[in-house]
Amino acid sequence: MAMDVAGLDLDALAARVSGWLHEHLPEPWRQAARDGDRRALARILADPATTSAWFAELGDSGLATPGWPAEYGGLGLAADATAVVSDELTRWQAARPAEDFVGLALGGPTIIEWGSEDQKQRFLRPLARGEHRWCQLFSEPGAGSDLASLRTRAVRVAEGGEKGGAWVVNGQKVWSSYSHSADFGLLMARTDPAQPKHRGITYFLLDMHSPGVEVRPLRQLNGKSEFGEVFFTDVVVPDDDRLGPEGRGWSVAMTTLMAERSGLSGRPGVGPGQADAIATRARQTGAWDDPVIRDQIMQAFVAERALQMATVRAFAALGRSEPGAEGSIRKLMHAQLEVTLGVLATEVEPGDAIAWAAPGDDAAVAAEAFLSAKILSIAGGTSEIQRNIIGERVLGLPRDGDPYANQPFDQRPHD
Amino acid sequence: MTADTGTAAGAAPPFGWTAEHDEFRGILRKLTESRTPLACAPAPGSPDARERELWRTWTEEIGLPGLIVPEEYGGAGFSRLELAIAAEELGRAVVGGPLFASAVLATEALLAAGGEQAAEILPGLAAGSTVATLAVTEASGRWRPQDIAAAVSDPGGGPPRLTGTKEAVLSAAEADLILVAAREEAGVSLFLTEPGDAVQVTPLEVLDQSRPMARVVLRDAPGRRIGPAGQGWTAVERALQAGTVFLAAEQTGGSRALLDAAVEHAKTRIQFGQPIGRFQGVKHKLADMAVRTDMAAAAAAWAAWQPPGTEAVRLGTAVAGAYCSDAYLQTALDAIQVHGGMAITWEHHAHRYLRRARADAAVLLPPREHRRQLEAIIGTGI
Repeated sequence: MAMDVAGLDLDALAARVSGWLHEHLPEPWRQAARDGDRRALARILADPATTSAWFAELGDSGLATPGWPAEYGGLGLAADATAVVSDELTRWQAARPAEDFVGLALGGPTIIEWGSEDQKQRFLRPLARGEHRWCQLFSEPGAGSDLASLRTRAVRVAEGGEKGGAWVVNGQKVWSSYSHSADFGLLMARTDPAQPKHRGITYFLLDMHSPGVEVRPLRQLNGKSEFGEVFFTDVVVPDDDRLGPEGRGWSVAMTTLMAERSGLSGRPGVGPGQADAIATRARQTGAWDDPVIRDQIMQAFVAERALQMATVRAFAALGRSEPGAEGSIRKLMHAQLEVTLGVLATEVEPGDAIAWAAPGDDAAVAAEAFLSAKILSIAGGTSEIQRNIIGERVLGLPRDGDPYANQPFDQRPHD
Repeated sequence: MTADTGTAAGAAPPFGWTAEHDEFRGILRKLTESRTPLACAPAPGSPDARERELWRTWTEEIGLPGLIVPEEYGGAGFSRLELAIAAEELGRAVVGGPLFASAVLATEALLAAGGEQAAEILPGLAAGSTVATLAVTEASGRWRPQDIAAAVSDPGGGPPRLTGTKEAVLSAAEADLILVAAREEAGVSLFLTEPGDAVQVTPLEVLDQSRPMARVVLRDAPGRRIGPAGQGWTAVERALQAGTVFLAAEQTGGSRALLDAAVEHAKTRIQFGQPIGRFQGVKHKLADMAVRTDMAAAAAAWAAWQPPGTEAVRLGTAVAGAYCSDAYLQTALDAIQVHGGMAITWEHHAHRYLRRARADAAVLLPPREHRRQLEAIIGTGI
């Protein structure tokens, strides 16, 4: 049953959401969140029966997808109001996990914008209820920053599929977050190599359980395996799962990419952040007494709060409209800040966190923050690509593109 | 935002500009663009004429000096939001003159100190017929109560007489009234003085020629105490806060003007057969300028939005003071880089912004002092 949030201001909305969570979140979960008991929370989150029941209820309430239109299971809230919902869910540790970011933040908005009524009915409700996990199948070994040069092929065949025929997909994707546990993938494939590179691409909603899809997790520099390589060998995709018109995949992908950049700029609220946590730790270790480290922390603090303020401002300005190229400004700032904070996290540890006794030690956590610091400068579009986007689409500077962009893809040199 | 801190840091719903705000901004934009085109302005060797002309505009046409003065004293009774809008627009055109000293610093100090004298003076300030300034800093150049050596020289009987030297006092040579922070037995108090034999005002050479400064030497100068004895520093702090909000917005406006001009130049300047803005060495620098300007704009607006007297405004002004000063200075330096050789000539507008950017980062609290203040807030859950 969707929650009634009509006419509430932001404070009243926060109170309504908080009250609802208090009423509906299972008692042990609520208690663990209230006490900040990390171990108890981890136990609860590891129990699929509890989490799937909760995410289904959360999805039905509309709170998992507050920005979606009401007809597709959302609450139709503007960006600043969705931020309030997100803050409340975070506060109760009741939000969907990071693994669901691609589906909720990227897949949903793209399907809402481009999907057929049938696709919206099939995909949005299960996504909101946490029944499907999604991954992004964009980047390839030869198509990183130059994403539109992708070579994964989709060839139309007459047979297969329901009625509209089908496509056979061959190729390879890489850097696909949570692909090993995904049920569906947002896939860009080349359907017409005789067209210039941006025009011969089509976007599909790929069932990851289809025969011929193989996922190999990659190990990241921080030791974790969040993303993977995905190989396609004669994978049959029904034409019903094509999102948007044939050959318009690049335009569809723009919806996804702008949603991604906007979603990677951090929390739209002004309050304690990572710099605060580092300062607290520095006071424990004594690093705070060093005026140089102290000032570095304060510079990061100022930058982090400024980014929070800019994010609040952007959400307030956005209202119900789709995110635009301006999201790159905050994404770039966030990426730079992550590097600063990652290095600082080690500097406040005794011995600068180059050795520790056991996993989970403060130094180990700091080392992980350090090793993860560069990820955001690459993922979701490198910082150089963000600067190009800001320069060209926000400031209107002349494009610095591919000199062969208008040639048929299959006649480009170097390919 | 966590439960226990949400209300402390985010009480006011920010960034909801009204149609009136937009209209006010539009009027100011039109005025600054028509009356202060940088290319036509007198060479910075003689900025006085330009500022005098502009002061008349602000005073007679739109009543800027009375912007934050309550209506009961003849002002417009607006908040820091409108002040920030004005500052941003004036900052775009590097407008200077006595507005900052008189309509922001002295006015805010008088409003904070209160009392009969304040009520007597404020209408003149609001009308722009009287110009006042706030004289606080001395040899150290720092805004700290312990650095105030100027003192009541004759504490025994009679009206207070002040002795001391105030350095780098904004617009003191243009001021009819000088509010002096001086020490007496109860602590630092504010006193009202007028230039004269006992209050000697000597103009200084200044980095930012649009905002003159002077040394004020007090020798047994008669002063009228404003507000309660020993409570002067509270009023100075409030003036500092309003002044920081003003400067942060001014810095944002200056940054935007520089970014706009640099982008325009990069689109039209042809080298190697193409606009230089196509080269990533230039394009990426401009993108970084845009990021900084966007962050500065958000921080400046956030600070202006917080209700005076709250923890949130303390945090907001310190963040804005620290971020916007550094951002403006870096953007001014980068803008010169993008414009190339022309920008290191006297005729080009770039150095006016560079001078303003450096002076703005020093005229109240420098960014590092804001960060020192924030040390007390970080990690406390605000």
